Amino acid sequence: MYQYSAQDKQFLVERVDQFEKQLKRHLSGELDEAKFRSLRLRNGLYMELHAHMLRVAIPYGTLSSEQLRALADVADKYDRGFGHFTTRQNIQFNWIQLPEIANLLRDLIDAGLHAIQTSGKATRNITADPLSGLTEGEIEDARPYCELIRRWFNLHPEFSWLPGKFKIAINGAKLDETALRIHDLGLRLVRNEKGELGFRVFVGGGLGAAAMVGAETAAFVPVVDILSYLESSLRIYNLKGRRDHQKKLRIKFLVRELGANEFSRLVDEDWQQTKNDPELKLNLNELESLKKDFALPIEPINLDRFKETVNFNYSIWKKNNVRIHKVSGYSIVNISLTKLGSAPGDATSEQMRILATLADQFSSGEIRTTKRQTIVFPYVRMDQVFDLWKSLEEYDLSSPHQGTLAQIVACPGRDYCDLAKAVSIPIATRVQERFNDMNKLLDIGDLNINISGCENSCAHHHIADIGLLGMQKNGEEYYQITLAGETLRETNIGKKLGPSVSGETIVDAVEDIVNVYIDNRQQEEKFTDVFKRIGITPFKEKVYG
Amino acid sequence: MDEIKNPINLINKEYKTINLVTFEEWLEDSDKLSKLGIGVILDPSNDVGLIKESLDSIELIVLDFRNFDDGRGYSQAYFLSKRWKFKGEIVGINAHLDQLQFMIRSGITSYQLLESYKGFNEEDYSSGFSICYQAAANNSGLNLKY
Ligand code: HEM
Ligand code: SF4
Repeated sequence: MYQYSAQDKQFLVERVDQFEKQLKRHLSGELDEAKFRSLRLRNGLYMELHAHMLRVAIPYGTLSSEQLRALADVADKYDRGFGHFTTRQNIQFNWIQLPEIANLLRDLIDAGLHAIQTSGKATRNITADPLSGLTEGEIEDARPYCELIRRWFNLHPEFSWLPGKFKIAINGAKLDETALRIHDLGLRLVRNEKGELGFRVFVGGGLGAAAMVGAETAAFVPVVDILSYLESSLRIYNLKGRRDHQKKLRIKFLVRELGANEFSRLVDEDWQQTKNDPELKLNLNELESLKKDFALPIEPINLDRFKETVNFNYSIWKKNNVRIHKVSGYSIVNISLTKLGSAPGDATSEQMRILATLADQFSSGEIRTTKRQTIVFPYVRMDQVFDLWKSLEEYDLSSPHQGTLAQIVACPGRDYCDLAKAVSIPIATRVQERFNDMNKLLDIGDLNINISGCENSCAHHHIADIGLLGMQKNGEEYYQITLAGETLRETNIGKKLGPSVSGETIVDAVEDIVNVYIDNRQQEEKFTDVFKRIGITPFKEKVYG
Repeated sequence: MDEIKNPINLINKEYKTINLVTFEEWLEDSDKLSKLGIGVILDPSNDVGLIKESLDSIELIVLDFRNFDDGRGYSQAYFLSKRWKFKGEIVGINAHLDQLQFMIRSGITSYQLLESYKGFNEEDYSSGFSICYQAAANNSGLNLKY
């Protein structure tokens, strides 16, 4: 597995030292709140309703068991014994005391973890497919590219004070698990007709109040030229992005105002001046060395004679949680942290340690995090999946929710977030209670329900089969429903169903929608396919009829 | 509160006083001004490309960093320094201690901190790192890793 060098760790030490000085100046009144806010966000630190929240980066969603243990230690020592895995594959701690922050960050350095640029108006953690390297048909593992690009924009002198935050996702797989076209900038690894590797570039996607799908600004940027292309894109944004209007800071508004063609023309004009600069070429030696670091730690094995154990609960869990690996003899195992009533994505320090131990035992010590806030074991031998399941059962981690509608994505909502208009987690709980029959869940199959407590859309409700958005109406909590959002095969923003529905009846509405789907489904048809075939009217009639 | 400065002249590295005009004043009368050994002071909103052709006749350029979160000055500095190789000084005024490292690496050659930062050790903030992860206008003698 890829690990930070001594030099990288030294950089992390220096960064924490610097932040500690800034914190001291702030606490002694020498650095005002506005400036300190800007600085602390760049170090992952938020002010929340009740305490400080720290977001630690999990670059491209890959963690070692050692790193997971370090996170568990932080949860115990500085938080209340749990962490929260986010939809951008990171982890958040919700109960951090300000004066302890520097020591917390120092504790993470040994494991090569940090919180740099997990927030603030700069390039954020770069996300990749959590199944990078594991699935058939992938062009290439995106993670070495993520790492090189992450480095380049780490405290980049020119692009650290952008108009708004800047999120980049890179996908090399067939299916787009990264949802790259709802990112500020999305890169898709492609080959051109000569077989050379490069990126297709999409700019200006994003959710929030004005949800937009990113527009293509370049059909093919050769791998070696990607840094200069990204610099030009960020430069145009830095200079021309809206800074005057709090709600128009993201690049999607600039792209919309200029038009995607004009934006990409400006980027191209700038890029022509820099693309031949040898300093801006991607370092191909470093790329090769990273490819080795990220290479799969397993070889194909022949398990033709292996016989799977017969066990009813196991087979249900397996159907939902286990996927085919491209390396023969291996499986990809998904572990759901969902429990009735707890926030989706929450994990206790004890669970983290158990997962770390099990990862050492069953998955070459590697763990992935996903945007559905689940945990993936990427390298489980097929003949050990049953043993892994038994261990998970023992620790109450064998929820078969993954791949069913009970695997709900919800933001913290009004329970924890001061921007919220409505609750999210209690709605998730009520939906789970309504659909608590495993046979029914299995019959319904994979269906995404995502719930955001306000328009900031932290739970990505626009790209779910069923999206719920919390709002206030006459002082009461209501939910706007969107249907048939998707990103896996193509990118579509969910369509509004109609007037928002009260918190009281929202679970009935969800059930109605699921029933329309079931009643109209032909064979294994997916929700989005049914929606495309029958249109929105049957859903409307059922919910509002 | 920060004491923002709107200077009308600056002393350069050779201790000469250089008079300053605004970007608009320069554009209006650059023919006349270009003979006077004058400096130009830019606002972050000014399109630095408009003075590209007359850089040779500008003595020094002043960029204003008063608004902490406004990052346009860093791109302006990049264009002047790395892209167009401006030979005069590029001075960052109304500068913030915590942003010196970014200003310097973007190509600023000298700076004036806001009053409120008097008494702090600038070294702590202008460098403090042993490594950087990207080539920029000025790599400040740091180890490069990318
Ligand atoms: C409770 C504390 C939180 C606060 C105050 C908060 C605040 C915000 C705000 C203000 C935005 C909009 C930013 C913009 O559009 O410029 C946003 C977006 C976002 N947040 Fe959060 N958030 C919180 C928690 C979370 C959590 C727990 C997650 C992950 C599960 C998350 C994931 C996201 C994502 C993915 C977006 C981007 C949506 C997009 O593409 O526009 N946030 N958040
Ligand atoms: S969507 Fe809104 S309510 Fe939910 S976490 Fe984000 S900002 Fe808070």
